[in-house]
Amino acid sequence: MKNRSLSFWLFLTPTLVALALVVFIPAIMGIFYSFTNWDGLGYTEMLGFKNYITLFHNSGFLAALWFTVKFVIVTVILLNVIGLGLALLVTQKFKGSNLLRTVFFMPNLIGGLILGFIWQFIFTEAFDALGKAFHMAWLTGWLTDGKTGFWGLVIVTVWQMSGYIMIIYIAYLQNIPSEVIEAAEMDGASPWQRFVHITFPMIAPAFTVCMFLTLSNGFKIYDQNLSLTNGGPYKSTEMLAMNIVNTAYSENNFALAEAKALIFFLIVAAISLLQVYYNRKREVDL
Amino acid sequence: MTKGWKKLGVSVLAGAMALTLVGCGKSNSSSSSDKKVKITIFQGKVESNKQFKQIAATYHKLHPNVTISVSSVGGGTDYSPVLKTRISSGNAPTIFSLAGPADVKQFASQEADLSNTKAAKAAQPGTLDAVKSNGKTVGLPFNVEGYGFVYNKTIFKKAGINPTSLTTMSKLTAAVKKIDSQKSKLGIKGVFALPGKETWILSDHLANLYVGQEFGGNAQKMYKSKSMKFTANKEMKSMIDLQKKYSVGPVMQLDYSAQVNQNFSQGKVAMIQQGDWIYPTVEQIDKKFAQNDVGMIPIPVKGYENKMPVGTSLYWGVNKNKSQAEQTAAKNFLDWLYTSKQGKKLVVNKLHFVPAYKGYTGMKMPDALTQVVFKYSQQHKTIGWAFPAYTGTSWDPNTFQPNLQKYLSGKQNWDTTVKNSIKGWNEQQASN
Repeated sequence: MKNRSLSFWLFLTPTLVALALVVFIPAIMGIFYSFTNWDGLGYTEMLGFKNYITLFHNSGFLAALWFTVKFVIVTVILLNVIGLGLALLVTQKFKGSNLLRTVFFMPNLIGGLILGFIWQFIFTEAFDALGKAFHMAWLTGWLTDGKTGFWGLVIVTVWQMSGYIMIIYIAYLQNIPSEVIEAAEMDGASPWQRFVHITFPMIAPAFTVCMFLTLSNGFKIYDQNLSLTNGGPYKSTEMLAMNIVNTAYSENNFALAEAKALIFFLIVAAISLLQVYYNRKREVDL
Repeated sequence: MTKGWKKLGVSVLAGAMALTLVGCGKSNSSSSSDKKVKITIFQGKVESNKQFKQIAATYHKLHPNVTISVSSVGGGTDYSPVLKTRISSGNAPTIFSLAGPADVKQFASQEADLSNTKAAKAAQPGTLDAVKSNGKTVGLPFNVEGYGFVYNKTIFKKAGINPTSLTTMSKLTAAVKKIDSQKSKLGIKGVFALPGKETWILSDHLANLYVGQEFGGNAQKMYKSKSMKFTANKEMKSMIDLQKKYSVGPVMQLDYSAQVNQNFSQGKVAMIQQGDWIYPTVEQIDKKFAQNDVGMIPIPVKGYENKMPVGTSLYWGVNKNKSQAEQTAAKNFLDWLYTSKQGKKLVVNKLHFVPAYKGYTGMKMPDALTQVVFKYSQQHKTIGWAFPAYTGTSWDPNTFQPNLQKYLSGKQNWDTTVKNSIKGWNEQQASN
């Protein structure tokens, strides 16, 4: 190998060292700690797979996992449908489309924590007032049970992130050569046919990117969860990331939290990679 | 040739890394010459950070050889991870804070024996129960705090109720009904504000009165217990039911700030289940209201009439891995703060701490709520705090709190709530 020279290694070293120090070494230590009774300071005994057994039996992990999976399914669908819809809307040629792009993207500029607090106010005060004024009982008592907590989280996430997804779709939509569409138009394809048979396949790479982003974001979400519901009431809206943080920091069970984090990582990695692999297959080249 | 270069590169790099690491380790060394001592305090009561810094400066003026630096991280769950990080990175503080039996156990390898300090000898009976480890005292209480029903004096007067007479459940219930019937006349929205979102209001403070009984209010005893009976659960149920029925609603949407800031401080409710720590918040919102309208009575519990739950949420620990000089300086500082004439004044007037120590008779607390706690504490009309036994364990957030919240929101009946709670506690304690 010609390029494995001194300079090759010299240029690579800083990155390798940094990566090793902040990713590989902590990860390996974490895996090791998950087999002990580590409490953040030290460990006194090796537990073998005990933490992993506890994790699947009695620790709220499965409930959090199920809640997170439901959340991910709903948000991935909604985000991509709404994101693509908004992108199609603002790529039409009409006055104010640029303004609309800015407006749709705006929520993404607000931090998740603040957003959670703002929406908490909207859900508990504004929804309540509207519900009372128009006698719609379903608008009152939001965030007081698991169901409204779930939909509250979905609404906030979709509201925040669909603008970002929209931007990605816009970029790919604008890359579609107009000749192809014009040719189809000449051949008598209806707008729907043009969308399904030309636009849709042409933006397949955008799907790969957006699916990946929404999937991994949905699994890893923490700040909105913290500020909107804090996992409550009665732990019914606790997502995976929050469950792990709570296990470590409020129950002082660092080793169990390590085990959970490892399983969490494996799940997210497996799903994301599978998704990218299958979506890549669908992409078309001109 | 290439191989040689590679080897050289790797060894240079390894050397550079080793140097950096050594540099990190060395930064903490201190010179032990001419008796100058530098001690560090890292504590968890973040609201008193400024006052502790001022006290450290005062102490330095009196004892020029001792320099104290104070840093604080707040909140129940934020403090201990940071302390752990500081210990593991070799930057451990001389004086740190401990939040109860779970912390005492976790940080056992750091805790110096404080049994012979003046402060430990002056501590009021019972205040050191939670920080005994193998017969030694390893913590000194910051202060004592108390809770009960914080009430609005004006509303009680208008309704014609004498708050100090509400010593039993039936008297309280009658008074609550009386206030409720005149709600519009009194201009209030509800009698109570019960924050169902805050898990600790019920699980820690209220439950202490009913769960703690069987352990004599002793946190260490409960922490070591193998089982729990929860015999007083029916009384707890009626207290929750009463607060829920006459609370502004919906209770599951109320949190701490809705309870204290938006409802009580604005005079929208007659009373709330809270403690002396809310005074600064109320004062910030309405100074006049805080000075004239705020009082506190104990929560009536059968067998413990007119007794207030008074206890300690944080204790000082001294790091036994530090040099002897540093440890002595740390102990001297704590002794000075809690037992010297000057220190006592600072404790009461600067920190607004209700003292957990003897020798404060005749001193006057600066605000209405701490005055009440001080009075009950001086007269020994108190109930111990057993709940620090479980706040650091997984039973509280994973079993007890969710079950209580399920009951409060009507998703689960009381018997199941009690059964699940007892079962969870017994399982946790059996595996410890």
